[in-house]
Amino acid sequence: MFMKRQLPIAIAATIGFLTLFGWFVEEPSIKSFVDDDATQWFDILASFAMFLGALNLLKMQAMKVIRQSRGWQYAALAIAGFSFSFIAGFVMLGAYNVEVTEFGGSTGVATVLANEINQDLQSTRNILSAVPAGDAYIIDSPYFTEGGAESVVEQIVAAGGTAEIHPAEWGAHIATRGSLFNWMFRFIFTPLSATMFALLAFFVASASYRAFKIRNFEATLLLISGIIIMLGRVPIGGHISAWFIMYIVVLSLVAGVNTWLKNRTYTLVALVVGLLGVTIAGFITGWPVDQPSIFFLPVLQDWIYNNPNVAGARAIMIGIGLGIFASSIRYILGIEKSYIGE
Amino acid sequence: MNGSEIFGAWIAVFLTLGIFSYLYKDNPFYKIAEHVFVGVSAGYWMAMAFWTQVQPNLFGRLWPKPEGEISGFLMKAWYGIYNFFGIILPSVFPDGGIDKGHGHDPHFLYLLPFALGIMMLLSVSAKLSWLARLGIAYTVGMAAGLRAYAFLNSNVLGQIKGSAVSFVDMPFFSLTGVSVFNNLIILVGTITGLLYFYFSKEHTGNFGKVTRVGIYFLMISFGASFGFAVMGRISLLIGRFTDLITYGTPTYNYASIWVLVLMIVLLTVWTIKGDKKATG
Amino acid sequence: MEKFLDFIVKAGSLDRRVIFVVIALAVMLPLFFPLGLPIRPTNSSQQVYDVVEELEAGDKALLSFEYGPSTKPEIHPMAVALLRHLMSKDVKVYITCLWPDGQFMAMEALDQVAVNQYGKVYGEDYVLLGYRPGAEAIIKGLVSNIRKVYTVDSRGDFLDDIPMMVGVNQVADFDFLFSASAGYPGTVEWVQYAADPVGITMSTGTTSIQVNEVMPYVQSGQIKGILGGMPGAAEYESLIGQAGIGTSGMDAQSVAHVIIVVFIIFGNISFFVERRRSKKY
Repeated sequence: MFMKRQLPIAIAATIGFLTLFGWFVEEPSIKSFVDDDATQWFDILASFAMFLGALNLLKMQAMKVIRQSRGWQYAALAIAGFSFSFIAGFVMLGAYNVEVTEFGGSTGVATVLANEINQDLQSTRNILSAVPAGDAYIIDSPYFTEGGAESVVEQIVAAGGTAEIHPAEWGAHIATRGSLFNWMFRFIFTPLSATMFALLAFFVASASYRAFKIRNFEATLLLISGIIIMLGRVPIGGHISAWFIMYIVVLSLVAGVNTWLKNRTYTLVALVVGLLGVTIAGFITGWPVDQPSIFFLPVLQDWIYNNPNVAGARAIMIGIGLGIFASSIRYILGIEKSYIGE
Repeated sequence: MNGSEIFGAWIAVFLTLGIFSYLYKDNPFYKIAEHVFVGVSAGYWMAMAFWTQVQPNLFGRLWPKPEGEISGFLMKAWYGIYNFFGIILPSVFPDGGIDKGHGHDPHFLYLLPFALGIMMLLSVSAKLSWLARLGIAYTVGMAAGLRAYAFLNSNVLGQIKGSAVSFVDMPFFSLTGVSVFNNLIILVGTITGLLYFYFSKEHTGNFGKVTRVGIYFLMISFGASFGFAVMGRISLLIGRFTDLITYGTPTYNYASIWVLVLMIVLLTVWTIKGDKKATG
Repeated sequence: MEKFLDFIVKAGSLDRRVIFVVIALAVMLPLFFPLGLPIRPTNSSQQVYDVVEELEAGDKALLSFEYGPSTKPEIHPMAVALLRHLMSKDVKVYITCLWPDGQFMAMEALDQVAVNQYGKVYGEDYVLLGYRPGAEAIIKGLVSNIRKVYTVDSRGDFLDDIPMMVGVNQVADFDFLFSASAGYPGTVEWVQYAADPVGITMSTGTTSIQVNEVMPYVQSGQIKGILGGMPGAAEYESLIGQAGIGTSGMDAQSVAHVIIVVFIIFGNISFFVERRRSKKY
C-alpha cells in the first residue's frame, strides 16, 4: 500500500520541493542536480512515456487485426506504417555515404558521378575540379542500402578512381539528409502532419459561415475584432479605403438607432445626415485611402492588436500563471493526487 | 532528380490528397492516409526519443567510453553487461562505450531514471501497472517545481510589471504610439479581465458591471485570436498547395495531376456503388 | 424581394463542400495568377527590424530554430529574411535548435543564405551548434555554460576549435537573441529561462496562432517586436527589400481572408433574415 500510494506522493513532493527551491539555493551539488540531472531525467522518462504510447497503440491495432473487427485492414496498415518507421529508425541504417578519394584524372569517374548526382558531364567535371587538392568528394545524397553504395564504388573503381563507403553513425542517421529515415520524414511524415493541420483551414471557413452568428453584443465584438485583424494584417487591408469603413460605421450606427428608438423618421434622418456628412467630408479631403487613420484597417488593426487585445490576453496569461502556480503547489504538497488515479 | 525523390513525391501527393479527400466525405483514401499517419508517427517519435534522449543521455551516461583500460571488478562487470548488450544490439551499444560528451566515468545515479522508465513501460500489464506511478510522480513533481517558478516570474510578475503603465510625458491619444488613453485601456482591460475570473463573488451590481467590461476586453482578444487562427491555417494551406503545385510539374512526372484524376475517378465509382447499395 | 430573401435564407444552409471548393480556389488561383499587392509593415515587425538594424558588424546573434516542416510555410520565410538581414550587416550568427526538425530547417536556411547568397565562412561568420534535446534544460544550460550543453557543433567539431566561439561562454555574451518558434519548447521558454533572468535583447517570430499567447511579453517589453506568421515574414521581407516565399503567399492569404469575411457577413445576413421571419410568424 505504501509503495502504491504514499511513495509516489513522497517522490512528487521531494522532487517538486527540490526543483522549486533549486531556483533559490546556491549550493553547488543541489544546483547541479536541479539544473542538469533533474531535467535530463524528466526528458528520459518522457521518452519512455513515448515508447509506452507506441506499445499501447500497437496493442490496440493488433487486437483489432486478431479479432478481425470492422476496419481491421486499416489497423493492419497502421501496424505496417509503424513497422516501416521502426525499420528505418532501428534496423535499416539507410545512410551510406560514398566518398570519392581519387578522381582518376579521366572522364570515367565524372561520367559515373554525373549519373549519380543528376548533372551533365561538364558540370560534374567542374564540381570535381573545384574540390581542393587532397580533399575527397562526398556524394551529396547518401544511399539507402549498403549494396547500392557498393555498386557505385565498384563503378568508380572500374573507371579508374578510388572511393570508400562511410556509413552514418547510428543516432546521427536520423538527422542525416538523404537517409531512409529522412526520406520517410520528408515524404510520409511531413505531408501527413502538415496536411492534417492545413485541413483545418477549410473547417474554419465552413464553421465561420455556419456558426459564427451575432447573437449578442459580446459575439459582435468578437466578430468585428476578428474581421478587422483578418483584413488589416494582410496586404488587401491597405487597399480598403477608410471611407468605405466610415460608410459601414454610419450604416451600423443607423441600425443601432433604429433598434433603440424604433422610429422610422429618426432612422431616416440619421441615415441621410450620416451618409451626407461622410460624402461631403470625403469630397473636401479628396478621398485619401488612409485617412482618417482611425478607420484605416491596418492602423485600426494595429491599435486593437496592441491595446485591448493585449489587455485581454494579459488577463488570461496572469490567470493561467496563477492557476499553474496554484496547481503546482498542490502537486508538490501532495494535495492533488490525480496522477496516481485518485 | 533521383528515383527515390520522384517516388517519394508520388507517395507524398497520394497521402496529401488522401487527407484532403475527407472534405468530400469519410472514404477509404482518407482512412488509409490516417492509419498510415498513426503508425508512422508512433514509430517516428519512438525513434527520435530513443536516439536523441535514451541512447545518448541515458546509456551514454551509464556506459560512457572509458579513457583507458578498465580496472576493478565492479567496472569490469559493469562493462561486461554492456558488452553483452552490444552483442544483441551493436547499433545501440557500439564497441567500447558510448561517447556523447558525458565524460569517461559512469553516472550510476542514472540507474534511477532507467528503473523508473522500465517501470513506466510495465503499465501495459494490468497487474504491474501501479509501478508506472513512480515514474509519473517524478515527472509531475519535476514539472510542478520548474513551472511554478517560471510561470510566477514571467507570466505573473512580469506581466504585472508590464501593466504598471505610465501616464506622464505622453499625448492623450495616439493610434500608433504610447498615449494616456492607450495605457488606460491596457490597465482597465487587464484588471477588469482578471476580475471576470474571480468567481468567489457573484457577478452582480457594480461588480457585475465591472466584470461585464472585462468580458468585452476578453471578447476582443478572442476575436483577434480567431483572426490569427484563420491566418495560420490559411498559411499552412498555402504551403501544402505550393508543394502540390511543385509536385505537379514535369520534374515529378505530373504526380499531383495523375493522382488527383485517379482519386476523383475512384471516389466517383465508390460513391455510385455506395448509393446503389443503399437504394438496392 | 421575397424570392431574394428566400434565396438568402437557403444560402445560409449551403452544403459545406461548396465552401471548401471556394476556399480551395481562393487559395490556389492567386498562386497561379499573383496580384502583386504591396505589403505594409506593422509596428511589431518594424520593431524587430529596428532592433536588428542597431546591431553592428561583429556583434553576436543567437538564433534558435524551433519549428518543423508542418509549420515551415509560416516560419521559414522569416528565418531566411532575418538571416539575410543579419548577414548583410556582418553580424556573427550562432544557431541552436530545440526541435530536432529545427536542425534541418536551419541547414536549409543557411545553405540558401550563408552559402549561396552571402558566401559566408563557417566557423568565422556563422556556426550551427545543432539540436540538443531537453527544452528548458538546454536553455538553462546555455544561460550558465554553453560548453556544458555543446561539446561539439553539428559537424562534430569541438567548440574550442571554432574561431567565433572564443570568448562566448553563456547567453549573456550575445548581443541579440531570436527565437523562431512554432510551439513548445520555444519563445515562452526563452523568455522565462533566458531573456528575463539574463536581460538579453530578444525578438521572436511565431506562427499566427501563437501570436496572442506571446503578445503580452511584447507589450511589456520582455520581447522586442514579433513577426507573426506568414504576413509577418512578408512584412520583414519588404523591410529588408528582398522578396521571398512569404511575399509570394500574401496574395493568396489576402483573397482567402476576404472570402472568409464575406462568408461570415453573408452567413449573418441570412441569420438575421431568418430570425426576422420567425419573429413575424
